[in-house]
Amino acid sequence: MKHIMAKMKKVNAMHFLFLSGTTWLLFAFLIFPNINLIFETFFQDGRFTISAIERFMKSGRAMRSLKNSFILAGTLAITVNLLGTFIVLVSDYFKIKGSRFLKIGYSSTLVYGGIVLASGYLFVYGSSGVITNMLMKIFPAMNPHWFEGYGAVTFVMTFALTSFHIIFLSDALKNIDYQTIEAAKSMGASSWTILTKVVLPVLSPNYFAITILIVLTGLGATSAPLMIGGEHFQTINPMIIRFSKSIASRDIATVLSLILGIATIFTLFISKIIESRYHYMSVSKVKTTLIKQEIKNPAVNILLHVSAYTIFLIYVIPILLIIIYSFTDGYTIATGNIRISSFTLQNYTSLLFQPSSYKPYLTSIVYATLAAFMVGALILTLARYLRSGKSFYRSVVDYALMTPWLLPSTLIAMGLIVTYDTKRMLLFGKVLTGTPVMLLVGYIIIKIPFTLRMTNAALYNVDHSLEEAAKSMGARPFYIFRKIVFPVIRPFILAIFVLNFNALLADYDLSVLLYHPLYEPLGVVMKNNAESQINPNAQALVLVYSVILMLISTISLSLVYGKQKKVL
Amino acid sequence: MKKWICLIVIAMMLLTLPACGQKEGSGELVIYSNSLTDGRGEWVEEKAKEAGFTVTAVQVGGGDLANRLIAEKNNPVADIVFGLNTMGFESLKNENVLLEYVPEWAGEVEEGMNDKDGYYHSLVKQAILLIYSQDVYSEATGPQDWTDLWENPAFHGQYFLFSSLSGGTTRAVISGILVRYLDENGELGVSEEGWEAVKQLYDNGYIAKEGEEFYALLAEGTTPMGQMWSSGLAAREEQYGVKSYYAKPAVGVPYVVEQIGIIDGSSNIDEAKKFLDWFGSAEVQGKWAEEFYSLPANKEALSFAPEYIRAIDESLTVQDIDWGFVGAHIEKWAEKIELEIMR
Repeated sequence: MKHIMAKMKKVNAMHFLFLSGTTWLLFAFLIFPNINLIFETFFQDGRFTISAIERFMKSGRAMRSLKNSFILAGTLAITVNLLGTFIVLVSDYFKIKGSRFLKIGYSSTLVYGGIVLASGYLFVYGSSGVITNMLMKIFPAMNPHWFEGYGAVTFVMTFALTSFHIIFLSDALKNIDYQTIEAAKSMGASSWTILTKVVLPVLSPNYFAITILIVLTGLGATSAPLMIGGEHFQTINPMIIRFSKSIASRDIATVLSLILGIATIFTLFISKIIESRYHYMSVSKVKTTLIKQEIKNPAVNILLHVSAYTIFLIYVIPILLIIIYSFTDGYTIATGNIRISSFTLQNYTSLLFQPSSYKPYLTSIVYATLAAFMVGALILTLARYLRSGKSFYRSVVDYALMTPWLLPSTLIAMGLIVTYDTKRMLLFGKVLTGTPVMLLVGYIIIKIPFTLRMTNAALYNVDHSLEEAAKSMGARPFYIFRKIVFPVIRPFILAIFVLNFNALLADYDLSVLLYHPLYEPLGVVMKNNAESQINPNAQALVLVYSVILMLISTISLSLVYGKQKKVL
Repeated sequence: MKKWICLIVIAMMLLTLPACGQKEGSGELVIYSNSLTDGRGEWVEEKAKEAGFTVTAVQVGGGDLANRLIAEKNNPVADIVFGLNTMGFESLKNENVLLEYVPEWAGEVEEGMNDKDGYYHSLVKQAILLIYSQDVYSEATGPQDWTDLWENPAFHGQYFLFSSLSGGTTRAVISGILVRYLDENGELGVSEEGWEAVKQLYDNGYIAKEGEEFYALLAEGTTPMGQMWSSGLAAREEQYGVKSYYAKPAVGVPYVVEQIGIIDGSSNIDEAKKFLDWFGSAEVQGKWAEEFYSLPANKEALSFAPEYIRAIDESLTVQDIDWGFVGAHIEKWAEKIELEIMR
C-alpha cells in the first residue's frame, strides 16, 4: 500500500485524475453492484449459508449439464480452431477459385446466431429437415431424430463460432510480412512447413484471444443444446438463465454462474502464461503485402476445392432456408411440409406496416450504437493503459473488468436496479432505476470483457518500436495514438464495434429488466410478438424479425467493415 | 458515405435522448402487464384515453414482469400491474410491492378469486386443460384426468411436457397435481406420494426440446396429448386443422386468474384507483372479452364472452386450490422438479 502511495505522488495530476476516474467507474458499475448480489447469495438473513451449493450438488441433472458444458467448451476449442483456420486459409491465403464468393458464405454466421441459427440447421438436418427427408427416402429405416446430442451440438456450434476467425484471423493474416514467407521459400521450405512454422506462429496472440472466446461461448452455450441436445446433452446455461429469473432459486443461478466465470478466468490465466512464454513478433519495419499461395500438388488442390465448396454449402443452406421459411405460415414452419400454397407475404406486411413498428428499431439502433461506441472507446483507453507497463493496480483493473463474466446478464441487471434505485453518493446522488440511461449502462457493462479481450489482441499487432521512434522524436501521446497506433488497429476496432452493435441489437435478457417504458428495444418487442398467446403464427414472426435483423447486421457490417477491407 | 452515417446516428440520438424527465404526480399512468400483446396494449391506451386517462401500457413477459416489479420496488416506475395470475400476485404481495385497494366492482367477481386482504382483484379467468387429439382418441379412450397419463401405460411417451417450469400454464398444471397430495410433514408441504406422482409424470412423458411446437406434434400424432389454456384453443385448432377433446376430471380443473393491483409508491395513487374502478368494471371487461376472446372474472361481463369459451367453462368444475399456499411454494416446487425429478 505504501509503495502504491509513493508512486501516486510522483505521477502528475492528469494521471491521478485518470486513475481515480477508472477506479470510480470500475467500482460503481462493475464491482459494487455485482459483489452486492453475490454477497446476498451467501448471506441470507445475515447468516452465511451454502444451501445453494447443497441443493445444486444433490441434482444429477445439474451436475451432468455442468459436465456437458465443460466437454462442449473443450471440444469446440479444437474443432472451431480447425474449421476457422481452414476457412481463413481458403479465403485469404491459398489461391482458390471463387474465394471471394466463398468468403461471403463463410461470413454468414456474422449476421445470425442463437435460436435462429439452430433452427436454420434444424430446417436442414432436423426430423423433418431437407437432408433428413432425402436420407429417409434412401434409408426408410433410419431414425428421423438422428441429428441430436453431443455430435450435433458440436457440429452446429463449430460452424456458428468461426465468425471470430473470419474477423480477427483474416485481418491478422493480411498483416503478416510476406518477406518472411519468401525467405522461408528460398530456403526450400515446403508449403506445410511455411504454414506451420512461419505463418501460424505469428498469429498466436490472435489464436489465444479467439480460443478464450470459444471456450467462453462453449461454456455459455444455450440455444444449440436446448434445441438440438436432446435429453442426453443438456448444458448448464439454460438452467442458469431459468433460475436467475426465479426469486427462490436465484442463489443457485449465482453459484452456477460463478463456477462458469471462475472457469473462464482460469482459462484466461492459463492462456496468459502460455502467451508470455511463446511470443512471436514480426520484426520487419517495411511490410510487404501477402500474396496468395498456389497449391502445387493437383490432388491436394482438387481436394481443397471440393472441401471448400462443401463447407460453403453447409454454411449457406441454413440461412437460405430461414429466408425461405420466413415467407411461410406457422404450420409449415413447425411441420416442415413446404408447399406452393404455404407461401405468404402476410408475415412481413403485418410486421412492417404497423404504424408503431419502426420505433423499436430506432431505439435499439441508437442504444446499440451508443453502447458499442462508448464501450469501445473506454476499453481502448483502458487497454492502452494496461499494456503501458506492469503493476499491481493494473492487474486489479484487468481482472475487475472481467466481473461481468461472473454473472448472467439477468443478475447483472438486478444488481444495477437494486443498487441504483436510491440516491447514492457513488453516483453523486443520482437515481438510475427507471431512467433511459440505465439500459445504456447495462449494455456497456455486459460488453466490457469481450471488448477488452479483442482490443488486447488487436493491440498485439502494433509495433512498439514505431511508437518509441515517434516518442523519441517528440510526438505527444495522443498524436502517436492517432497517427501510429489507431491506423493499425482500426479494422479490429471497427470489427469489435460491429460485433457489439449486432449483439446488442436484439438483446432480450438484460433489456427486459432495464428498459424505459417509453423506449422499448427490439429484443423485447420481438419476444413479445413471438410469445403471443393468440397468434399461432408467432413462429413465423420470429423468422421475419431474424431476417430483418440479418439485413441490418449485413448493412452495418458492409458499411463499417466491408468498405475498408473490401471482403464482404 | 461516412458523413451520412454520422449524421443519421447523431439525428437519431437527438431524437431519442431528451426525454429523460420523470413524471411526478402528473396524472399519467404507467401500466405493466404481460397481457398486452395482439393489440391489447393499443386497445387499453385508446379506450383509456376515451375515458379521460393518460396511459402508457408496457408489455413485459410473465416471469420477467414480477422480477422487474420486485427489483424496482424502492423506486417504482409503474403505477398499476395486471395480467399476472394469482401465484404471481401472491409473490408481489409477499414482497410488499402492492398497495391495498378494493375497487368498486370487487363484489361482482366470482367468489374466492379476489385477494382476501384486498391487494389484488380478478379480471380474467382461464381454464387449464388436458387436451387430446380427436384423430387418435375418443372421449372414452382418452385420458380422464392428469393421473391417467402415468397410470395407464398406453399413454406413456404420448404426452407433451415442457422442459422448464417457468411458464404459468405449466405451473398451474403442476399445482393442480401437487395440491392433491398436501402434507404438512412432507418435503415442501407435499407428501412423498405426491412427489412420486410428479416423477411418474415426467418419467413417462415426452419432454419437449426448445422450439418444438406442441400443436404441430399434436396434429402429427407424435404427442396427441398435452396442456392448453382455454382461450387459446380455437385459433390453434383452425391453424393446424386438428380438433381435440379436453379431460373433465372429477376433482375439477385448475383455473388461472389474471389479477390487477396498484403499485405501492405510485406517484398517482388517486388516478390509479380511478383507473382500476374503470378498467375492471363489467362494461370494460365485457368489451375486452368480446374483443380478445377471454373469460371475464366479473360475473356481469360473462355474457359478452364468445360462445365456445363459455361452453367450455360451463362444462367444467373449478378445482379447489389454495393459491395463497401454492404461491408461497411454487418457486421451490419448480426448483425441486427441475433439479431432482427431471432426468
